[in-house]
Amino acid sequence: MTTVSHDAPAPQAVSMRRILPPVVTGQEIVLLAVLAVLWVLLGIFTPAFLTPGSIGPLLVQVAPIALIGVGMTFVIITAGIDVSVAGMIMVSAVVTARVLVGYDVPAIAAVALAIVIGAALGAINGVLIAYGRVHPIIITFGTSNLFLWLGLRVFDSSTVNGIPGTLEFFGRGAAGSTLGVPHSFAIAVVAVAVAWWFLRYAKAGRNLYAIGGNQHAARLAGIKVQPRLVWVYLTTGALAGLAACMIIATGTSTLDQSVGAGKELQVIAAVVIGGTSILGGRGSVVGTLLGAILVQTVVSGVTQLGWPTQLGFLFVGIFILIAVGTDLIRERARRRA
Amino acid sequence: MTATTTTPADERRAQPPSRVREWLGSGALRDRAVLLLALIIVLIVAMSILDAVGLTSGRFNSDYLASTLIAYVPLALLALAELFVITSGRGGIDLSVGSMVSLTGVVFAMLYQQAGLPLPVSIVLAVLFGALLGAVNGFLTAYLGYPALITTLATFYAYRSIALVVSEQRPISGPEISEFYNAAKSVELPVIGASLPLVPLGVFTFLIPVAIVAWFVLNRTTYGRKLYAIGTNDIAAQWAGIDTRRTRMMAYVTAGAIAGLVGVYTVAQFASARPDAGTSGSGMALPAITIAVLGGVAITGGIGRLSGILLAALLIVWLNASILLVVPGNEGAQAQLLALGVVLLGASLLSNATIRRRQAGAPGRPAVPATASGAPR
Amino acid sequence: MTDTAQRSTPAPRHDATPRLEMRDISKRYGGVRAIRHADLTVAPGTVHALVGENGAGKSTLIKILSGAEQADTGTIAIDGTAVTIGSTTDAIGLGVQTVYQEPQLFPELTVAENFFVGREITRGPMIDWRAQAPRMLELLDTVGLDRQVASQPLGALSIAQQQQVSIAKALLEQASILILDEPSAILTDAEIEVLFAVVRRLAADGVSIIYISHRLDELFRIADAVTIMRDGETVSTEPIGELSVREIAERMVGGAIAEGVHETGELGEPVLELDGLSLAGAFTDVSLTVRAGEVIGLYGLVGSGAAEVGEVVYGMRRATSGRMRIAGSDRQPSTPSEAKRRGIRMVPANRSSQGSFSFQSIAFNITVGSLGLLGKVPGWVSPASERRIADDLIRRLAVKTPTARQPLGAMSGGNAQKVVLARQIVEQPRLLVLAEPTQGVDVGAKEEIHRIIADLAARGTAVLVITTDLAEVQRIADRILVFRSGRVARALPPTATQASLLAAAAGAEDEPATQEDDR
Repeated sequence: MTTVSHDAPAPQAVSMRRILPPVVTGQEIVLLAVLAVLWVLLGIFTPAFLTPGSIGPLLVQVAPIALIGVGMTFVIITAGIDVSVAGMIMVSAVVTARVLVGYDVPAIAAVALAIVIGAALGAINGVLIAYGRVHPIIITFGTSNLFLWLGLRVFDSSTVNGIPGTLEFFGRGAAGSTLGVPHSFAIAVVAVAVAWWFLRYAKAGRNLYAIGGNQHAARLAGIKVQPRLVWVYLTTGALAGLAACMIIATGTSTLDQSVGAGKELQVIAAVVIGGTSILGGRGSVVGTLLGAILVQTVVSGVTQLGWPTQLGFLFVGIFILIAVGTDLIRERARRRA
Repeated sequence: MTATTTTPADERRAQPPSRVREWLGSGALRDRAVLLLALIIVLIVAMSILDAVGLTSGRFNSDYLASTLIAYVPLALLALAELFVITSGRGGIDLSVGSMVSLTGVVFAMLYQQAGLPLPVSIVLAVLFGALLGAVNGFLTAYLGYPALITTLATFYAYRSIALVVSEQRPISGPEISEFYNAAKSVELPVIGASLPLVPLGVFTFLIPVAIVAWFVLNRTTYGRKLYAIGTNDIAAQWAGIDTRRTRMMAYVTAGAIAGLVGVYTVAQFASARPDAGTSGSGMALPAITIAVLGGVAITGGIGRLSGILLAALLIVWLNASILLVVPGNEGAQAQLLALGVVLLGASLLSNATIRRRQAGAPGRPAVPATASGAPR
Repeated sequence: MTDTAQRSTPAPRHDATPRLEMRDISKRYGGVRAIRHADLTVAPGTVHALVGENGAGKSTLIKILSGAEQADTGTIAIDGTAVTIGSTTDAIGLGVQTVYQEPQLFPELTVAENFFVGREITRGPMIDWRAQAPRMLELLDTVGLDRQVASQPLGALSIAQQQQVSIAKALLEQASILILDEPSAILTDAEIEVLFAVVRRLAADGVSIIYISHRLDELFRIADAVTIMRDGETVSTEPIGELSVREIAERMVGGAIAEGVHETGELGEPVLELDGLSLAGAFTDVSLTVRAGEVIGLYGLVGSGAAEVGEVVYGMRRATSGRMRIAGSDRQPSTPSEAKRRGIRMVPANRSSQGSFSFQSIAFNITVGSLGLLGKVPGWVSPASERRIADDLIRRLAVKTPTARQPLGAMSGGNAQKVVLARQIVEQPRLLVLAEPTQGVDVGAKEEIHRIIADLAARGTAVLVITTDLAEVQRIADRILVFRSGRVARALPPTATQASLLAAAAGAEDEPATQEDDR
C-alpha cells in the first residue's frame, strides 16, 4: 500500500473507538438482561438452580453447542448454513471412541484425531460449497447423509462400549473442572474469545462480514472468497470434532448411534438467538455463547421447575422468534432513520 | 449414474461428441423429470439383472416394489409441501413439517379416539389444524418478514414440544385407530386388480387425490401462476399487481394442510399416534426438503414441478428398497443414507452446471430477488 | 492482497503521451453491437467528459476499461504502454479506479472498513487500524465527509454520503485514471460543489478523470475535453471550450431535430389529474393532466424525481400531499392491484428486476398481470385462453420468438421489453404509464414500441411516458414536461428544439419555467 503514509501521526481528535465497530451489540445486551432475569426467576422458584451442583452441569452442556456455534456463526455470517453438524459429530465421536477403546492413546492424541476428522469432513463441505456453487443448505443436506452413513458404518450396527476415562478432562467428574469451572465450558469461552478477537481485528475475520454482506462485491474488492468459505466450513468441522470429545467425555462409557442427533438445529438456534443474521453479513460469537446458555437455561430450568422436559423446547422456539423479531424491528428502525 | 448410457444418443456414438453435447444441451436432461425417470429405469433394469443372477436376498418384483409404496406416500406428500413453500421464493423453506406431522397426528388421534368424533370429521379437523399451524409459519414469514428458516426452526421446536407435552410422550392408540390401520394397508384393486400387484391403499386415498389437486392448483389456477411469479421475482410480481404476501402465506398454509394429512396417514400407518412420528431421528423435514431439491425444485424459488417430486420420491423409495435386497441387514439401512446423499449432491451439482452454462449464453440473467428488504423504490 | 495494487510511480508526464488511449474498441452482446470502433484518448491530469444518450455505449466502454467486460477487438494503452485488462483486479493494478453509479459497498460494515475491505493494511493477521486511520480520515476530509461517520455502518448513511465514501475509497490507492459514472445524478447542488472541488484537486495532482454525466451544463464547469458517443460509436473528441451545449446535444442525437413528431389525435376527457402532488424526498408540487388519447412525456435526467411520479400513480407508493384524480375519482390507489382495477397499468423502468420473470415462459410473462382473464371460472386458468392471449399479443407487438413457451430470459432486450409491455396492454388500459419504455432496446424494437404506444393513444388510452431519452420523448409525446430537481421545470411542445429540452433538464437556464396554460 504505497500511498499510505505511515509516518503521519494519527489525528488526536479521533480515538480508535470512533473507527472500530461497537464492542457490544444491542442484541448481546438484551440477551444478558434476559439471562439475568431468567436466572433470578429460576433462583427464586427453584432454590437448587443457583447452586454449583446445578450451574456446573448446565455449563458442561452448553460447551459443545457454544463451541460449534462459533464455527456456525462464521458460516452464517458468510450467508451460509451447515446442517451436517450432527453427522460430523457422529463420525468424529465414533472413530475417536473406537480408538480409545482399542488402543491406549493419550488424551491429546484422541483430541487431535477428533479435530482432524471433523476438519476433514468440514473441508468437504467447504470445497463443495465454494467451488460447486450450490446453495450451502443443499450441499450440507447431502453431505449430512454421507457423514451419517460413514458414522453408522464405523458403529457397525452396535454401540461402542467400555470407553475408558481418557477424556475425563472434559467430563462432568472432579477431573473435568478446576475451581468449579468445567474445563469444557472454559474451552468454549476461550474459543469464543479468540473468535471474537478474530472477527473484530483480523483481516480474514472482517472479510467474512463482507462476503456475507455482498459476495459479488467482496470478490470485486479482491477478497479471495472461495478459500475463505472452505476455511469457515473446515473450522466448523474441526470444532464439531472437539465438541465430539466433550460429548464422549460427558456421556457414559457407552456411545450409541444417536450421538449428535438434533445438534445442528440446536446450534443454529443458539446462533440466531445470539443476533447473527441468517441472511449473512452480521453476527457475533458472544451473542452465540449467550444464545447457547439461554437455550440450555430454558431447557434445564423447565426440568427443574418440574414441568415436562419437552416444554422447554416450546420456549426455545418462542425465544428464537423474540430474538430475531427484536432484531428485525431494530433493523427496520435503523433503515428508516 | 450417467443417464446417457440408456438414451438414444447411445446409438450415435460414432458421431462426434458434439452431437451428444447438443442433445444434452437441448434440454432433455435439463428436464429433471426425464433424468429421474431414466435413473428409475436404470435402477429397475440393474436390479432385475441382479435378481436374475441371484444376487438379491429377496425377490425383486412388482409385488415388492408395490409394497414399498407405503413409505412413498408420506415422503412424496411432504416433499410436495416443500415444493409449495420453496417455490414461493425469498428463502422459502419449511423445517417444521415433521413437527406438524407429529402434532396433527396426535390431535387427530385425540379427536377420533378420545373424543369419539366421526372419522371424516376428525380428518378434516386435523387437516384444518395443520393448515392453522402452517398459517402461523406463513404469517410470520410473509407478513412480519421473518426469514423462513428462522420461522420454521422456531415452530419446529414449538410444535414438536407441544406434541410431546399434550400426549405426555406416549403414543395414542385404541380400537378405532387400530381399525383405521386398514386405510394404509395394501389392497387389491377392484376390476383390474387381480393381475396387478397389491398396492397400499394410502396411495389411492391420500397421495393420488392430493397429487391431482396439487397439479391443478399449480398448473391450472391463478394461484399457481401467482406462486411461481412471486418465487421467480418478488418485485416484478408486486409490479404486476400480485398480493405477494398473501400468496406466500398461502404456500405455508398449504404445506401445513398437507403435513396435517400426512399426520393422519402416519397414524394409520403405525396404528397409533406417535408424538415423535415426524421428528424422531433426523426427522421428516430434512428428507422432504432433500426429495424436493432432488425433484428439481430450485432453492431460490420459482421453479418446481409436481412430476419431479413424485419421481424423485419414487426413485428414493425404490432405491432404498433395492439396497435392502442387495445389502443385507443394518448395513443396508445405512447404505440408504449414502445413496440419498450421493444422488442429491450429484443431481444438484449437475443441474447447477447446466444452469450456469445456460446463463452464460443468455443475454438477460435471471433476476432472482435478494432475500433482504425488497420494497421497490 | 497488499501487493496487487502496487505499481511503479508514474514517470513525469509529457503531454505528447496520452494517459489513456483506447483504439478501435468493439463489443457485441449476443447479436447486439454495444459499441463499434470506439476511440477514447485522455490526456494526463485532465477531466475528460464522456457523454451520449442512453444506450450510446458509454457504460460498455467504461466496463471494458475497468475490466468488468472484455472488448472483442481493439487495443488499450496506458501511458503509451499497451496493456491487457482481463479483470477488475488488472484494472486496479494499472491505476484505473472506478466509482460506479451504484457503488459496490457493504452496508453492514462501518465506513472505515468499507474503505479498506479487501486491501486492509495488516500487521500479522490483524488489521492495522492505526495505520489505516490517518489516510482514511484525510480522504474523508477530501470528499467533505464528517470524520464522525467513520465508525458508522455504511447502511446508516444517505445515498449521497455513500457515494462520497465510494469516491474517497477509489482515491485510497494509486489512481492514474479515475472513472466517475454519473456522480452528480444523485447529489444536491452543495454536494456537487464539493465533488467538483475534489475532481479539480485530483486533476491538478495529475490524475486523469473520465467524467460521465447527463447534465451537460456542469461539464463546462469541470471538463477539459469531451468525447461524444452515439449509437455505439465515438462521434468526436474536442476541447470543451470549442463546443456549446447545443452543439454537444446535437452531436449526441445526431443533429436531427425531430424524427417525425407524433400526430396528436382527438383528445378526450381528462383521465389523470395531479394537483400539487408531492412525495417527500422525490418530487414537490407536481400538477399535470393527461387526457384520453394524449401522450404526455415526463422528461428528466436520472434522479430528477420523474420516475417516482409514475410509482405514485400506480399505487406502489403513497404521495405525501396533494391531489390525484383518476377518471373523476379522488381516491388514490394504495396498491398496484387497485390501480389495475381502475384501468391504470404501468411498465416499470427496470426491466430485469421489476418486469421480468426470466425463467418463466413468454406466455406466463404476458398473462401474469391479467390472471382474471384466463378462465371462465374465477381463479381458474385455461391453457387455451392463455395461449390465445399470448399469441395475440405476440402477433400484435411483433415479438420475435418461435413459440410462446420460450423463457423470457433467453430473449433480446427489445423482445423482452415488448413482452413486459404486452403484459400491461392485454386489456386496453385507461391510463398507461411507461417508465423508460425503450431502455437497452435496439433501434428496430424501439421504433416498434413507439408505434405501439402511438396506437394505444389513438385508440383512446391516456399515456404518460417517463423517460430520460430525449429523442424518445420528442418523438412520441404530444406535450413534454421537463423535470428537474423534483419539480416540473418547463412544459414544452415536442417541436421544441432538443437543445432547449436538454437545457431545461440539465439546468442551464435558471429562469422560472414559462409554463403553458393548459397544464
